[in-house]
Amino acid sequence: MSERALAEVVDLTRTYSGIRVLDEVSLSISSGITTIIGPNGSGKSTLLGVLTGAVEPTAGTVRHAHEDSADGGNDKRIGYLPQRVPFRGEFTARETLGFYAALVGDDPDAALADVGLSDAGDRRVAALSGGMRRLLGIAQATLGDPTIAVLDEPTSGLDPDMRERAFRAAAARASDDTAVVVSSHDLDLIDTYADDVIILDRGRVAVEGSRDRLIDDYGVDDVKDLYRAVVSDRADTGSDLDAGDTDSDDGTKDRDETASESVHVTGVSDR
Amino acid sequence: MSRLLTDIGAVCRRELVTVRRTPGYAVLAAGLLVVLGALVAVGGGGGTGFVPAVVDLLLPTEILVPLLAVVLGYRALLTDATSGEFAVIRTYHVSTVGYVLGVLLARVAALVAIVGVPFALVGLYVWLTAAPDTGIFATHSGADSPLLFVRFLAFVLLFGTAYLSVSAAVSAIASSRRSAIAIGLLALLIGVLGGDLAILRSLAGGASPGEIPGLLALTPNGAFRGLVFEHVIGVAFAPNGGFVQTGRAVGSLVGWILAGIVVAVTTLTYATRVDVVVERARERLLEY
Repeated sequence: MSERALAEVVDLTRTYSGIRVLDEVSLSISSGITTIIGPNGSGKSTLLGVLTGAVEPTAGTVRHAHEDSADGGNDKRIGYLPQRVPFRGEFTARETLGFYAALVGDDPDAALADVGLSDAGDRRVAALSGGMRRLLGIAQATLGDPTIAVLDEPTSGLDPDMRERAFRAAAARASDDTAVVVSSHDLDLIDTYADDVIILDRGRVAVEGSRDRLIDDYGVDDVKDLYRAVVSDRADTGSDLDAGDTDSDDGTKDRDETASESVHVTGVSDR
Repeated sequence: MSRLLTDIGAVCRRELVTVRRTPGYAVLAAGLLVVLGALVAVGGGGGTGFVPAVVDLLLPTEILVPLLAVVLGYRALLTDATSGEFAVIRTYHVSTVGYVLGVLLARVAALVAIVGVPFALVGLYVWLTAAPDTGIFATHSGADSPLLFVRFLAFVLLFGTAYLSVSAAVSAIASSRRSAIAIGLLALLIGVLGGDLAILRSLAGGASPGEIPGLLALTPNGAFRGLVFEHVIGVAFAPNGGFVQTGRAVGSLVGWILAGIVVAVTTLTYATRVDVVVERARERLLEY
């Protein structure tokens, strides 16, 4: 593992029903904000799931820098916000964070304040707006100061203000020794906040590297043009970019979209 | 060890909040109280004594308690798995054993409230209203005591916990609410009827009637029934006992509880790995 890398993925493959959703993916995650972008069904959620340990790869390995640490792995080293915020609706925001905070000895009220939800602490999760739920998810993922916080589409389905707020909250957690890994379709926000960019296409890494270097290498102005240069020229029409569309916010995973290769349409949204 | 206890405590408290905020459980407890009250009132046991009341309640208990335990447990571990919250909980280094025990402990506490309290209230009712009844004493001669009803209550809770643990295992195996209901009902049917039918079949196949106490203890219903006859009803009219081997019956119920826990923990730990093995095999098949 390189000196800067907090996690390294080597030859990662994951199949569902025999179809490769991730195909020998290798990449490294460094401190700062790493964004993962790609068309629907490109394997983003699966890759993030493997990074967090929620999904077992069919081949390949994930190595984390903290695996060599001497604390026996008791601390929370990875934070995870899945694509669909999974919290129980009958709990209040404070109770939800209280449960997780108790596991790592953290302060739920401070976590609520960090994402601007102090006033909503006593509201039930079921009564929170989609944006507030995602902010709550970000607060949960960053409890216990994990080395890597993995956020799967934290801005999906949100209005522009909420998207900005969610990204800002995520970015606030990134530091010299902490990585925040975010998948998103919001290329403008990615352009503003990302340190590193990974573009996935059909289960493979199309490009990977620092935002600035990639933009220089491809001779483009921003991440949106970079994406088009790398991926969109392979598609026939349209794009869900910047529309804030998600792979699916109802819990459907990449695998559902790759049930047949014939429906694996790069960069095309039917909306 | 302290880490395991922390995990169990945190998960248990969270689960208790969920149980407390599920109004359906209170309705179930009230419904059970009404049914039990009606049974002892109509059966005559309530006005006569604890042992007659237990006789009235025994058969319905063998059906109602497993049913309520399955209702309490069939989604216990499924909810977090299907919502994706279990994957989040795992990032906090909560062990699967700690998670399963935390959920199960909370559900056992719910079982005590939903099943134990109505039974205890019925016992209180019997204690307040029981009076000598020659008709009943003719068939249930001997000593009667509140202690016998306390024993009965303890057996009911142990019996219910066995079914709860098995239904928690079902909730770990099931992939959806519908499949959890289907598997839970199947487990209920097998548990309530299957054991007795298997014993009848073995007798028809030439097994000795002397083996019945031993065989009876193997199933949850048989073990529970045997313990109630041995230590509650039998005390009053057949002090020599011989209905079931007590150690074997208690061991059987504890065994069912442990089996449920082991199946649940194993399933949650290895399900994704099994999935990967299947995927690898499928990929190799597609290559050919």
